[in-house]
Amino acid sequence: MFVFRRTHSPAFDSRIPGQGSLIWNVSFGMIYVSIGMIYSIFPCRCMMVESDLRWLGLSDSKVAETIKNKSLTEQLVSIVKLAKQQLASVGQKLDVFPKGSLLYNVGSKTKAQCAHHLPTVVQLIVEDKIKTDIQATAAVSYILAHAMKDLNRTELEKECGVGIIVTPAEIEETVKCIIGTYKEKLIIERYQFPVGKILGDARAKLKWADGKYLATEVEIQLRNLLGVKTEDDLKPKSKVKGDQKQGEKKKADEVVEETEGPSTMEELIKSRARLHKVGENYTSDGYVVTPNTERLLKEHVVRTGGQVRTRFPPEPNGLLHIGHAKAININFAYAKAYNGVCNLRFDDTNPEKEEKKFFDGIEQMVRWLGYTPAKITYSSDNFDQLYKWAIELIEKGLAFVCHQTVEEMRGQDQKASPWRDRPVHESLRIFQDMKNGKLEEGDATLRLKLTLEEGKMDPVAYRIKYCHHERSHDNWCIYPTYDYTHCLCDSIEDITHSLCTKEFQSRRSSYYWLCNALDVYCPVQWEYGRLNVNYTVVSKRKILKLITSKIVRDWDDPRLFTLAALRRRGIPSEALNSFVARLGLTGSQMVIDPHLLDASVREYLNVHSPRTMAVLDPISVVITNYSSLGMASSISIPDFPSVPSSTVHDISFGSTIYIEREDYQSGTPSKEFRRLAMGQSVGLKHIGLVLEMEKEIVSDDGSVISIEVKAYKVTGENKPAAFIHWVANPIPVQVRLYERLFHHKNPEDTEEVPGGFLSDCNENSLTILHRVFVDKYMSTIKVWDRFQFERIGFFSVDPDTTREKIVFNRTLLLKEDSTKK
Amino acid sequence: MAPQNKPNKNPKKEDKKEAKGVTPSPPAAPAGISPNQELQQLYTTQFNAEVDVARLTRLLTAMETGEITEELLEVCPELVEVQQKNQKLKFRKTILERSVKTQEDENAKKGIKTAADGPSKGAPDAKKSKEESKGGKEEQKGGKGEKKEGDNNKNNKTPSAPPKAKKHDYVVVKDFAGSIMGRLAHVFKKAIKEAFPTVSVPLVLAEATNPKFGDYQCNSAMGISAALKAQGTAKRPAEVAADIVAKLPVCPLISKTEIPPAGFINVFLNEEFIAKQCGEISRHGVRLPTIESRRVIVDFSSPNIAKEMHVGHLRSTIIGDAISRLFEAIGFDVLRLNHIGDWGTQFGMLIAHLFDRFPNFQKETPAIGDLQSFYKESKKRFDEDAEFKKRAYECVVKLQSSQPEFIKAWNDICDVSRKSNNEVYDKLDIKLNERGESYYHNRMEAIVEELKTRSFLREEEGRHLMFPTGCDIPLTVVKSDGGFTYDTSDLAALKNRLFEENGDWLIYVVDAGQSLHFETIFSAGRDLGWYDEAVKRVEHVGFGLVLGEDKKKFKTRSGETVRLKDLLDEGVRRSEEKLKEKCRDRDMSEAELTAARDAVAYGGIKYADLSHTRTQDYIFSYDRMLDDKGNTAVYLLYAYARIRSIVRQSGVSQEEMDKYAASNELLPLGHPKEVKLAKQVLKLSDVILQVVDTLMLHTLCDYLYNLSTTFTEFYSECYVVEKLEGTSKVNMNRLLLAHVTANTMETALNILGIKPVPKM
Repeated sequence: MFVFRRTHSPAFDSRIPGQGSLIWNVSFGMIYVSIGMIYSIFPCRCMMVESDLRWLGLSDSKVAETIKNKSLTEQLVSIVKLAKQQLASVGQKLDVFPKGSLLYNVGSKTKAQCAHHLPTVVQLIVEDKIKTDIQATAAVSYILAHAMKDLNRTELEKECGVGIIVTPAEIEETVKCIIGTYKEKLIIERYQFPVGKILGDARAKLKWADGKYLATEVEIQLRNLLGVKTEDDLKPKSKVKGDQKQGEKKKADEVVEETEGPSTMEELIKSRARLHKVGENYTSDGYVVTPNTERLLKEHVVRTGGQVRTRFPPEPNGLLHIGHAKAININFAYAKAYNGVCNLRFDDTNPEKEEKKFFDGIEQMVRWLGYTPAKITYSSDNFDQLYKWAIELIEKGLAFVCHQTVEEMRGQDQKASPWRDRPVHESLRIFQDMKNGKLEEGDATLRLKLTLEEGKMDPVAYRIKYCHHERSHDNWCIYPTYDYTHCLCDSIEDITHSLCTKEFQSRRSSYYWLCNALDVYCPVQWEYGRLNVNYTVVSKRKILKLITSKIVRDWDDPRLFTLAALRRRGIPSEALNSFVARLGLTGSQMVIDPHLLDASVREYLNVHSPRTMAVLDPISVVITNYSSLGMASSISIPDFPSVPSSTVHDISFGSTIYIEREDYQSGTPSKEFRRLAMGQSVGLKHIGLVLEMEKEIVSDDGSVISIEVKAYKVTGENKPAAFIHWVANPIPVQVRLYERLFHHKNPEDTEEVPGGFLSDCNENSLTILHRVFVDKYMSTIKVWDRFQFERIGFFSVDPDTTREKIVFNRTLLLKEDSTKK
Repeated sequence: MAPQNKPNKNPKKEDKKEAKGVTPSPPAAPAGISPNQELQQLYTTQFNAEVDVARLTRLLTAMETGEITEELLEVCPELVEVQQKNQKLKFRKTILERSVKTQEDENAKKGIKTAADGPSKGAPDAKKSKEESKGGKEEQKGGKGEKKEGDNNKNNKTPSAPPKAKKHDYVVVKDFAGSIMGRLAHVFKKAIKEAFPTVSVPLVLAEATNPKFGDYQCNSAMGISAALKAQGTAKRPAEVAADIVAKLPVCPLISKTEIPPAGFINVFLNEEFIAKQCGEISRHGVRLPTIESRRVIVDFSSPNIAKEMHVGHLRSTIIGDAISRLFEAIGFDVLRLNHIGDWGTQFGMLIAHLFDRFPNFQKETPAIGDLQSFYKESKKRFDEDAEFKKRAYECVVKLQSSQPEFIKAWNDICDVSRKSNNEVYDKLDIKLNERGESYYHNRMEAIVEELKTRSFLREEEGRHLMFPTGCDIPLTVVKSDGGFTYDTSDLAALKNRLFEENGDWLIYVVDAGQSLHFETIFSAGRDLGWYDEAVKRVEHVGFGLVLGEDKKKFKTRSGETVRLKDLLDEGVRRSEEKLKEKCRDRDMSEAELTAARDAVAYGGIKYADLSHTRTQDYIFSYDRMLDDKGNTAVYLLYAYARIRSIVRQSGVSQEEMDKYAASNELLPLGHPKEVKLAKQVLKLSDVILQVVDTLMLHTLCDYLYNLSTTFTEFYSECYVVEKLEGTSKVNMNRLLLAHVTANTMETALNILGIKPVPKM
């Protein structure tokens, strides 16, 4: 099998164009075929496989587990074969190989693209030159780095420390020396001191030391120094840390962020992402190496100057949503972390659904998140090239024109296309006819001849659409698909890391297949987990439905989770970015509740949005003794009361002020009620006054119109139970209060919501307050300004704001509403 | 949005109606409200209604003026759909227009005529892109297709076709016979030349589409008027038309002409002339036009030895035979040649295998049996066994040096093939002279010599190439190993046919995929000065593929090529089934039934092929070809048998008919349907002239079909035998007309190679 993969054999006629790449493609399939044969046709072979695995010293359970992994098993079987051959050549035959774990280690770590170097490594193990796992691992990385080169055995031996023997005495001495340097700290921190640090230092000095032995030595020496662990030492570490955190939190917010791990994607990437270096694409998992790979990679490095190049490739057929925030962050931050560049590429291959406003909206959102694309590119810029390549694929017999309908191509057990083997010239002719408008929409597609991971056959590369294109105008009536366009545009743009969500893992093989079929530079695709949010829908179609059903106003209705909606709601991009960064870089799909985002945002706004007082449901309060108080008509209050050096804003004060209707209770107040009522005084924030109830003025229909009070300076004696917010010289503004749009976690799930997502909408998700009072100083605020309305929540100025009317959106309540979970 | 609005507004409208009705107070108003309030309510209702009226008026206006407002789209969701469709179609139109333009530009660059330039045969051709015709070659290696595999790679580069030969008039008519069109064209050309000697505009003559406009129309006046204008003389088309008519020589064919203001010339035929022509036919039989005789060589069928004939050979065989029959019918000297593939390296392999399998073959004829599997066996050995391969090559050398033992082996192999091919030819009643490639073996050497001495060859990488004028792809005359190619043999054949056979017309009936190859060969022939294309007609008559009913290459269920023999047998089987289904076996003797069965089966297969535009692919369907309705052989054969039976059952003897004919110089024509049928009968000559020019046999098929439908029209209105109160009266003129019709049909069917049977 491995020999086959590497084929430089003259059996394959290199004069036939395209044949080379075909073979590479096939080799993957070969693995499955041969495994299939082992299990189905020759059950006795299965026994042989098991005995081979046992020969490595694996336990029965491990054998059973390993067999499930077909490719690993195949690799191990071939390694065992190699090892046995080599043993036989020196006249040895063993029932169980004593260092089977080394071979297993090598087998599980070696990537397919360098498996042809395995014999050398196995030989080193058999000859007992590689003795430890560390050496074996070093050998594996060495052969990977030399996947496309010839192997220099001497260098390999040097690289994995063959012949270097680290004696126990050396280890003891080194550890002693290191512990000595940390001695003081160790005595104070005792077992809280990270052992890893000691081990790390030791490893740096003694590269080839046996790991287990080293660890034991460190343990022994620490016990010698510190004695046995006490009860204190056994207490969980985190508690101590937590205490520290609380203490530090008050000092500065940055500290908090630091202890919680990387707060920006860039930091996260620097610390977590382990992706290949530019030009070393072949070292990544599953990368397919062809005879041209080395040359193509070299050329690629020359073109890019070795610079990391990523791209964010949205389709301009809708607006970006929160899931994209992750994609944007990962792509741009990866580039930033490695001094690279990131392009914004509009994948504009489906003109039916594309609109100018989406192009603009997407770019705006990328910039809003704080990123600047190195270049803005369009898939449509490459239509000519893509078409030429399509012709090339047909000519190579790797693509064909098919007349199956969409329905026939869909579904689980789709039939193979009866047109799969039609002659090349026929496909060429019909493809040209497609391009020339001779066929009806849907009458023909161009399909690629390959089977995808999940058995899906022959993905479509081109389809007919009689549709005007925003950029290519009426030049084309055939448009390429995602599958076809994406990887090739990546290749054209010399993308080094093609980062995408996990769903596309199944397209990876087609991605590599296509690039290799055309003998063009093949970028590496890396996948990360998609970010989904509960209690919302993000699909373009569904949002459109919400809009046309007049449930939401537009794509940026703050109840939605499009980026435009989040911005309009007042979510700061910084908070969004750090939220995404904190979710990490795992490969699994992530579904988060909106309140998690809220918490992140709250934390940010708490520090960044100035306080102000606003009364949502005002009731007027007349201070009857106002003139006797001698108060100034204007006072300065800090924007951030907890920050000593905070900036300030001036607000008015006067004889009539407005307070929240709910801060007053008519009649005898209930026991829990701590604010203004007959016989119960309340304090006014920031001004040091206490109000004492005199009487209420009631209208004809019995509602309270206003309250008359007397005011006194706050003293030690009359200190009220609560201080409330107020506005004295108000301007009326509009405030929009938003609540969750959907009742259920998964409104799209028909089991959870049998009536469909439209039936799941919260009819009261938007409340508009038309008479909210804020101080007159706010008449000069600008759209997007954010405030914390004291005691209420975070608000942001809506773009609907005009000179006559200010509109606020409620971003968040101050605290999570415990009633909604 | 529309549904939301509608329910709100409609009730309001109702309100209004009721408000205007008999009861003045709206019943909706709850009791006990003040008159003031009530008035207020009425005002509101009225206001709403007015708004609604205004809206509906706007919609109506929009609809009437065709202005598509958003409001309108909201009420008519279908309109949105249609509008989208319309947009798509418009977009497609743009694309198509551009594609046409691009193709035209490209054609212009390469000197290919577009459809508009060459009306006679260009039209169907132009539709086919080059790739398409190439497709014919690879997909169905019909006729010579399979010999040309070596050229495929070269052809893939989409080379430009050599410029098509300029159209020449090869057909010199001596006697138009019944031809109407031919005569009309003749007199009109004369008239135009006399009236406007300075103008050369092609004659536009067509059958009138409406009896109001006469029988034929000459539409040349507009073109001439335009040409005159270009010369500086202004003359309206109507004036031009009048001038032409003035110069029109006296012609017994024309009864009158009319010139509508637009400048057409409507021609009304003289019924007397028609009656006279029919009278002549009734006396002397069907007459075809007389054309200056030529020696014609038709190259068709051309299968390969050792491979059984398959469906790919069907079209060449049928079309080639029909073309030959046509030429023979008009008295040409026709040589039918079967250019079989009987020479080449594959024979080395076959002979070597023969030696191994039948070591005794020199003494007794080997029982090769199935030659196809014999071929496969040897091919397999050839591919897998290097030693055998070497031997096979040695055999080729020995064969080519005419060693008797090898010639014997070769003959044995060819005989097997020949025998099986002849079965097919016999069934289809097709005669062919076999003249395979081997015939040219020595001539090829001579050709190479000629080309070498005349310095027409260029050597490239060991090959000797010839670069004919205007062709992208050279001819490989000698391969690098010294061997010859199809290019060489076709050059040798061309020269042989021109010089040794003295052919005037050389017709190659080979699939359309070979067009490039032949254009190149012909161009080479002209370069070599072998012929003048103004004098000699050397033409590749191409044809499209045979497709299955799934519109894909016609194959058996298991996906193999259909053997021609099987195809014919299946046709016979189905035809018999069909006849029995109709209980025809009861009315016919066994011999008659067999004759009818074969006529239907073979006639059906031939006619299905011939009735489709030659240059296009056609779909092979037994059901369709055996259908007794529509333009099928079965329908025609039935129609023919019926006319014969009408004549038979009239009880009038042949002598009586002859007597009647002899006494009536003009066949009396009274009823309009009689006239119509008579005209249709006479058109055969026009059709023949046309087909001799275009070699598009479907025109003749269409004619036949029209003739039989015209007869049906005639027969349903005109009694041949009138039965009145027990006595029956025969309308002799009609009987004669029927008789003439049957004879005309028989003539046409014979040309198509379809055997008419008097009883079905």
